Amino acid sequence: MRILVSWLRELVTLPVGSGSPDSPVTIAALADTLTMRGFEVGAVEPWPAGPANPAGQPGNSEPPDAVLDLEITTNRPDCLSVLGIAREVGTIYGTDLRMPALWPDDDDQRDPIAVTIEDADLCPRYVGALVDVEVGPSPRWLAARLEAADVRPINNVVDVTNYVMLELGHPLHAFDLDRLAGPEIRVRRARAGETIRTLDGAQRRLEPEMLVIADAERAQAVAGVMGGADSEVSGTTRTIVLEAAYFNPISVRRTGKRIGLSTDASYRFERGADVEAPVRAIARARQLLATIGAGQPRGPAVDRYPTPPAPIVVRLRHHRIGHLLGLTIDAAFVAPTLTRLGFDPQLEPATDPPVWRVTVPTFRVDVSREEDLIEEVARHHGYDRLPTTFPALTQPAPPPGPWRARDHLVRQLLTGCGFSEAITYGFIERAPALAIHPDAQDIVALRNPLSEKGAVLRPSLLPGLVDSLIHNRRRERQDIRLFEVGSQFRHGDGETPALALVMTGDAVARHWSGPERKTDLFDLTGVIARLCEGFGGVATFEPDTAGHLVPGRTASVRLRVADQTTVLGTVGQLDPGFAHTRGLTGSDAVYVAELDLRPLTTDRFDHLQATPVPRYPSITRDLSVEIDDALPAVRVRDTIRAAAGPALVSINEIDRYQGPGIAAGAVSLSMRLTFRAPDRTLTDTEVQAATDDVVRALARAHRAKLR
Amino acid sequence: MTAPTDIDAIRAAFQADLGAVATEADLQTVRDRYLGRKQGAVAALMKSMASAPTADRPALGKAANELKREIDQALATRRQTLEASARPAGGVDVTLPGRETPFGRRHPLTLIREQVESIFGAMGFETLQGPQVEDDYHNFEALNMPPDHPARDMQDTFYLDRPMPGAGGTPSTHPATLLRTHTSGMQIRYMETHQPPVRIIAPGVVYRRDTPDLTHSPMFVQVEGLLVGEGITMADLKGTLVAFLQAFFDADTRVMFRPSFFPYTEPSAEVFISCVFCDGTGCPVCKKTGWLEILGCGMVHPAVFEAVGYDPERYTGWAFGLGIDRVALLKHRVEDIRLFYDNDLRLLEQFPH
Repeated sequence: MRILVSWLRELVTLPVGSGSPDSPVTIAALADTLTMRGFEVGAVEPWPAGPANPAGQPGNSEPPDAVLDLEITTNRPDCLSVLGIAREVGTIYGTDLRMPALWPDDDDQRDPIAVTIEDADLCPRYVGALVDVEVGPSPRWLAARLEAADVRPINNVVDVTNYVMLELGHPLHAFDLDRLAGPEIRVRRARAGETIRTLDGAQRRLEPEMLVIADAERAQAVAGVMGGADSEVSGTTRTIVLEAAYFNPISVRRTGKRIGLSTDASYRFERGADVEAPVRAIARARQLLATIGAGQPRGPAVDRYPTPPAPIVVRLRHHRIGHLLGLTIDAAFVAPTLTRLGFDPQLEPATDPPVWRVTVPTFRVDVSREEDLIEEVARHHGYDRLPTTFPALTQPAPPPGPWRARDHLVRQLLTGCGFSEAITYGFIERAPALAIHPDAQDIVALRNPLSEKGAVLRPSLLPGLVDSLIHNRRRERQDIRLFEVGSQFRHGDGETPALALVMTGDAVARHWSGPERKTDLFDLTGVIARLCEGFGGVATFEPDTAGHLVPGRTASVRLRVADQTTVLGTVGQLDPGFAHTRGLTGSDAVYVAELDLRPLTTDRFDHLQATPVPRYPSITRDLSVEIDDALPAVRVRDTIRAAAGPALVSINEIDRYQGPGIAAGAVSLSMRLTFRAPDRTLTDTEVQAATDDVVRALARAHRAKLR
Repeated sequence: MTAPTDIDAIRAAFQADLGAVATEADLQTVRDRYLGRKQGAVAALMKSMASAPTADRPALGKAANELKREIDQALATRRQTLEASARPAGGVDVTLPGRETPFGRRHPLTLIREQVESIFGAMGFETLQGPQVEDDYHNFEALNMPPDHPARDMQDTFYLDRPMPGAGGTPSTHPATLLRTHTSGMQIRYMETHQPPVRIIAPGVVYRRDTPDLTHSPMFVQVEGLLVGEGITMADLKGTLVAFLQAFFDADTRVMFRPSFFPYTEPSAEVFISCVFCDGTGCPVCKKTGWLEILGCGMVHPAVFEAVGYDPERYTGWAFGLGIDRVALLKHRVEDIRLFYDNDLRLLEQFPH
């Protein structure tokens, strides 16, 4: 809202001027003060003092003028006007308001126009009045004031309606009487299939829940939003019907949204107009039209207001102000402040501390409770004068939720493995979402995405993370390890916490001491193993398949914690076709994993009972067998573990060899078995017996040959 | 020095000589002296046995052999010690770069969030997490924003094309229909299930349908705080936020409260800090005002208390909302909010582990 200081000065005495003793407050200081009272002045624009002055050229004593560009919060539609701001200024400086001149009531005559409100739920009040006009340009000062407010002057009639809206805050509309089907206004819901061409030239289809202003035959305006082109005021207009009404805010808001129009009028109506303002707004417009020689009011204004609501009265208890603010504000400050703001505070008899019954003015649509009044008092008393205190702790904070320790440990373990944390958008393109999660019914789509790039909620963290990897790849970064912790969304499972990892480039960087080594799948499975170990579990991997992963290089990940095994997710080499589609160039393999975070918990650490450290030495045996190379290593391990007896504590695959000396389709697998007993030193004989059992079991189960 | 000739004397002399050994060469000299085939003391001893009485010879021979074994073993042990303590010959170029152990970084928004959690944690606040897909009731209605409320325009919302099950897949009376525009829904959920006193913060990503630019991102990270109890005042709100902002930015940070509007608080305030770029003297970032807007806050609106069944006569409280991205931009002078979501390692790796 752009407000001209000289206009403001017409409605309220301003001690504002050059900073001299006569006018001690500068415009900059006024702007600061308004800002501190809740009306942020974004800019103070110097403005020439002359043209906007109705009295003509200013004298030497004319104070400097300026436009204040104010930000008005949605709860204060009353301040979308010079009058509203003048009221705040009057409260700040303790000066009186001056209401602008109004056309006197004329109640001797018959209604010059028929006004019928058919849908009073959407229009509780409608005021119409006639003015015989001579359409032409506005006087310079009036046009200049509109221009200062960024409103384009059109002609004297339209300009006056805009002028009154800016001055008093109430929107007006003018119809060309000759272009209506007679001197009759009907306020009603639109008929099914009814259309209207609005002032902007667009043909609009109306719906039965929309309110229109109609003549005897058809809609002539979309109520509170925009007038119709057919009854628009033009150079040939002889008589206008001036409209000032109160429209239901929700109805105006819905209608505006539905037909895609937001106007200065709808902006005000949907925030809440003043139901008492229409008569005054009409009288002000008629006065102005007469004053500038643009027209002559004909007959009285017709006011249809079937059921005026009772005024809102709110009790304000003085002690409650201190209770809420933490500062006792003098009762002698409270009542006068509210009065200047337009409230009517009446002291309840025999109350100590005082209690007021405060009548709320109809323009203050934001005030309905005691707290609203306390805010008015606090605002004008000054937030800067509130003390700073610290609330007493009355009970200890409960322990943090388990997710905090989990997420913290995940971050700690993975950053320790060289992975940096990424945060990607929760919405992604549909195609990569489907590529990774092909169940289209399970994908959660947005109704109003910003673009196709964010059409669906991510069913997996991978697409976003792969995009981040590619972003880095395209910026000369070869070796990349990223992870993300976040929510994924599916219709079936809802919102669940997930973890994704991506990895490419060198696992070991080129160094003067030795060559580089490219990342392979086992770098990533190793990281996952370490992650699971960090949570006190063991990771196991089983061959698996997934559409977006390379066959034969894909595994499901299982977590085993204390005999409980749960599926964590999938790890594998990303299908190069997928990566290429997302924009990856080059031939480096990308390894990815996505894991469910829910099975990972640190709970068990809370009750961790340490087992005694081994007291007796361990004995190792190396074993090389030749076996079918298609046999998963995990099967060999299972067989060994089942055969070796309880003394076996670990199995390490220390070598794999294929080549001369090994049959085609076979592999020589070397393993180091470690044995230990908790209660004694094992003998060579015992270990040899266990090893022999292992060899026999391998031969039986896998036809393994000892080498 | 001549080698002694009787067993005890040889043993004593050997122990003394061995004690003086410092190098492999010393060790060889001692070995030659005692175990040398021709001139060694043990060899001499063996020879001297020829002149001993026949009856004494077996005992003498046994003792001499024991001595030989003893010396041999002591020399071997000493050799091992010397070898293990030997310093390598030749040096390396210590200025060559070492082998890198890769380590990653937490995201800067995580770092800031953890700092905020830690400051409020020390003030007794519990950290909570809520769902990102929310229902209209928890995101708007219970927060005093009924349908068609103009304040909903302040938070342009992404809607799902069809409802999802509520948080975590549990069935809910309020199916999730939108992406939360703030984490305030968590306040409602908490108050629905807990009685005062309440002292919580709720960090998390939120979504608003804003076209991305330097300072706007359709997804960003927010922290909301809520404190409810008996006798909680706006002065407490001021005191707590000043303490937080001075802990987070700088002990000299000045803080300004200014009236504002949010549907869920009354009175409401916007909070500014003295500009971190110009220290309040005025610069392009603070638009020459010397102040930077940092968060919104206010006293919890009684309608919000009524929605969760708290008695607004008995309880008062306050809430605030802070944009983690915004404070990260200000604190670390990042120029473009979108950089946080590009995950460019050249940015991420500037932040501490």
